[in-house]
Amino acid sequence: MTILEMMERSGADSTNLTVSWIRDAFNMIESNGGDTSKVKKQDLVSGTRDYNLPADLMALSSVSILDTKDGNKYKRISRLVFDPLVTEDA
Amino acid sequence: MSQDVNRDYFWRTRGNTLEVLKLKRSGSAVKNDGSLSPNRDELIYPDESVDDGVRVEYTAFVNPFVSADPNVLATGDTNETTWTNPDLTPVTSPTETTHVNLNRLLSMAVVSYIKAMVSELKGDLKAKEYYLREFWKRVSDAESNKRMVSMSFPTSPFAVR
Repeated sequence: MTILEMMERSGADSTNLTVSWIRDAFNMIESNGGDTSKVKKQDLVSGTRDYNLPADLMALSSVSILDTKDGNKYKRISRLVFDPLVTEDA
Repeated sequence: MSQDVNRDYFWRTRGNTLEVLKLKRSGSAVKNDGSLSPNRDELIYPDESVDDGVRVEYTAFVNPFVSADPNVLATGDTNETTWTNPDLTPVTSPTETTHVNLNRLLSMAVVSYIKAMVSELKGDLKAKEYYLREFWKRVSDAESNKRMVSMSFPTSPFAVR
């Protein structure tokens, strides 16, 4: 559907404002499950717990770790539900 | 060399940070008096380095505006086996003829959202609430269309019809 068709259907008369509203609606759709997904990878570093989340992240779908002993496949890992007792906290 | 990663690794978020922890399985230990101590499994920092070892999948604000209609096959709907999806070029400065990169139902949801915003500008908050409900209803309809799950319930013979 074009922006013009959306404007005609909704009775909006400002193109710039409509584009902004479309961006807002797109944001709300993507933050609730969304229609598109992205993947980013980063190095796993020995002794490092903290990693950056992508700045453009809206909703996290999954986190995986590369299993180098099983054909270099990424396998989904589970989320910790409770605060862990970490014994090597630096 | 990482192995059994799906059993040994865990994650959680803290603000904008992703924490990755590894479960160190130690089992039970024999104490000096010969008895077994409780399970000593513990979470530790990752103890290995793997290039591109952490993969994050997420939703993002990806190409909301494109040059072609995303809901029409590029080759036309003429053949069952030879077909391709349209080549969508992102548009950074959208005009009125630019397409919104959403399916038809989500586009209708966006129309409801715009109606809600137009109503708010006019001061009609009741209409705004109505159109926002329509927006979320259409978003959830679009989501359930992908899930392919149907539920049916038997009707009780004593149900009031």
